[in-house]
Amino acid sequence: MTDRAALLTITDLAVRYGAIPALAGVDLTVGAGEMVSVVGPNGAGKTTLLAAVAGIVRPAAGAITFEGVSLVDCPIEAIVRRGISLVPEGRGVLASLTVLENLKLGATIRRDAAVKDDIEHYLEAFPILGARRHQPAGRLSGGEQQQLVIARALLANPKLLLLDEPSLGLAPTVIDQVYDLLQSLRGRGLSILLVEQNAARALRIADRSYVLNGGRVRLSGRRDEIIAHADFDAAYFGLAMDGRAAAS
Amino acid sequence: MIDTIVQILVDAVSLGGLYALTALGIGLIFGVMRLINFAHGDLITAAGYLVFLLAGQSVAVAILGALTVAIVLAVVTERVAFRPLRRADPATLLISSFALSVFLQKTLILFVSSRPKGVDFLPELQQQVTILQVHVQLLEIVTIAVTGVTLVGLSLFLKHTRFGLEMRAAAENFRVARLLGVRADRVIAQAFAISGALAAIVAILFTAQTGIVQPRMGLPLVVVAFVSTVIGGLGNLTGAALGGFLVGAISVLLQSLLPEDLRVFREALVFVAVIIVLLLRPQGLLPARGLRERI
Amino acid sequence: MGDLLRRLWPLMVLLLLVAAVTLLAWSGPIVLQRRATLGLIHLVAVVGLYVFVGNSGVLSFGNVGFMAVGAYVSALLTMRPAAKAMFLHLPAFLGDLQWPPIAGALAGGLAAALLALVSGLPLMRLSGISGSIGTFALLVIVNVVIGNWTAVTGGQQSLMGLPIYTNLWIAFGWAAVSIVIAFCYQESRSALALRASREDEAAAEASGVRIHRERLIAFVISGFLSGIAGVLYGHLLGTLRADSFYLDLTFLVIAMLVIGGKGSLTGAVLGTIVISAVTEFLRQLEAGMPLPFANLTLSAPAGLGDAVLALAMLLILLFRPDGIAGREIAWPFGRLTRPRD
Repeated sequence: MTDRAALLTITDLAVRYGAIPALAGVDLTVGAGEMVSVVGPNGAGKTTLLAAVAGIVRPAAGAITFEGVSLVDCPIEAIVRRGISLVPEGRGVLASLTVLENLKLGATIRRDAAVKDDIEHYLEAFPILGARRHQPAGRLSGGEQQQLVIARALLANPKLLLLDEPSLGLAPTVIDQVYDLLQSLRGRGLSILLVEQNAARALRIADRSYVLNGGRVRLSGRRDEIIAHADFDAAYFGLAMDGRAAAS
Repeated sequence: MIDTIVQILVDAVSLGGLYALTALGIGLIFGVMRLINFAHGDLITAAGYLVFLLAGQSVAVAILGALTVAIVLAVVTERVAFRPLRRADPATLLISSFALSVFLQKTLILFVSSRPKGVDFLPELQQQVTILQVHVQLLEIVTIAVTGVTLVGLSLFLKHTRFGLEMRAAAENFRVARLLGVRADRVIAQAFAISGALAAIVAILFTAQTGIVQPRMGLPLVVVAFVSTVIGGLGNLTGAALGGFLVGAISVLLQSLLPEDLRVFREALVFVAVIIVLLLRPQGLLPARGLRERI
Repeated sequence: MGDLLRRLWPLMVLLLLVAAVTLLAWSGPIVLQRRATLGLIHLVAVVGLYVFVGNSGVLSFGNVGFMAVGAYVSALLTMRPAAKAMFLHLPAFLGDLQWPPIAGALAGGLAAALLALVSGLPLMRLSGISGSIGTFALLVIVNVVIGNWTAVTGGQQSLMGLPIYTNLWIAFGWAAVSIVIAFCYQESRSALALRASREDEAAAEASGVRIHRERLIAFVISGFLSGIAGVLYGHLLGTLRADSFYLDLTFLVIAMLVIGGKGSLTGAVLGTIVISAVTEFLRQLEAGMPLPFANLTLSAPAGLGDAVLALAMLLILLFRPDGIAGREIAWPFGRLTRPRD
């Protein structure tokens, strides 16, 4: 990572739930404007990783810095204001609030006058949202909700967007749409950290990827490298590189 | 015949209004914190005592004093007693609010005696007025009007202001709200402040009605408020208000329909009716979505 | 055998502890004995509350209502007919009878258990918080009924003339019985299933646990023990008042359980002993306690004890929410038998 300054740097991160280790010794960086994905099977610690960055859980050890400043012990609301937006697992729509209200909440931290225009922009850019602006968000389909929460997260003008399993529970054609949307976000200067069980898509769209398993990074590399990597299956499924079961 | 029906209607809406306002105070806090605030009754009591203290001054001063004390006490108890417990499970929160309530009551008794004191507040409202050839007490009309205005005001606040939107978001899903940048501390303090204001309004009306203050005066109101929020559907504000009106209506109806010698049991029968409603619909009339945890 | 000993260890320790405290009081002045008797009655009530709260995780505000039912039922069955005729207007079959104390006591306990069964059917279907509020409603119902059913209970007037038979050792006997019942219950499969549901309702239901049924069982046993506590209470004082069985007593019993530790029988017992001792001390303080070694009399305003107790409960919930004893006393001496291979 010599040509771009890293926006987000995670060093030797460890997170425990009580006595149970969820993450150990994780190193990860996201550069400005980069799209990075983290893939791994269920229970690998992917959600915990994003939760640690977003301030939902406290690390037991290790460092998380964003733009050079540590995020550890920062309350969630403050991390949002530093420019990090998380789209949580399961999308996290506020079901009884309308689509429009959800979007307005996305802009909670902003006080500038452009908010209204931005909201209108997204309502036009996503016609479904525009058409349903006054309906309770809980009535939208899975794919529509995903559009809503991404638009909602973008309304905060984040520098880093965290996405937790955006394809979860969605039909394949809908996943296509979501990933097209993610692709369209490139080139806006936005960094994206994307976490997925669905490795195929995530690896193809991201600039760089990490494979997480059992709370540790098993493999990492740029797009072309990692897709073709001989040990990818082993890393993903928890086998040691030479075929035996990996020690945790 | 007509006047009886109108009288019953007025009684029901007036009493139901007090219950609804109290239930809203409980419901607001439950929404953002999953806490049933037993100490809400003591907010009512504190406001009532302020009315007692200031009744001799102008009405405006008494009202202002009651509002101030209730709001301040609400915000302070949140900061001191409930904030450290924010991550506790609902059972611990419930017991804590009960302990806090007892503490506030007993501390109050240390300073004023436990004997009831008479209050002469807004006696002019005790008079009867004639509407459509029916005699009703002016105070009941005022109660209904104040309840209506408060409900509308609260509704407008929740639906059309930024703070109201943030509160609704926090009540729907606290974590997601925080992830959007809603400040947890501020939203909760706000909820407590509003509930304090609601408690004060109830105390003012209640004191004017009964003419008495005593250290447990808030208790009958909050007990009804608790069951109202449960019948209405825990976590749903409209349900809480609805539950309050429903219990008020049942109470008034029983009062007029029950034979003379059974009237003393009215309170018990109201609660039995409540339990029957819950037997038929354990989740309440208007259950809130998002209360059940995702598996 | 060693395994059985280890399992019974907490029970034996608790029984010995309570016996020791009783013996201590027995060697003291009459006043102390009377206070200790009251403490043992509270112990029965707190253990009764624990049987439900500790195993289901749902707080109940209604147990003092069960105490009231137990007390009044036993009173009606054991009072002399002449005394009953003086205060009450009972139908002949009730007014004329007079049962022996033990029958009256059991009847009181069973009546309370019956009320728990009937009220539990709707209430146990409610979720945790709603259920707790429901038990609060139950408390109010019982209080209103007893306080207004003047013909049967004397209503707002005190009901006098109960045979006074609760002494230190009878109270101890029932305290021991209640501890044994609570212990045996919590080792049962039903209680185990209930505790599983406490942690994760969905998982427990998926495993076939019928939460409502198990909760109801705990509630009924809890009702019985609370009813017995009420019986003992009534036959200690000799008179009953409806408002003795309302919020103040509810708070005291809950405080004893929570401060002691609502998750264990040990907590219930320890909490009662500690709080009884502390309230006794505070009561002396309110009355004025002359210090022997100085020319001072410590005294405190009336009602201080209650405020202090409430504050103590809050502090415990803040800093040590599991209470003094969150778990049962463990066998301290290591393995008695070798583990099976």
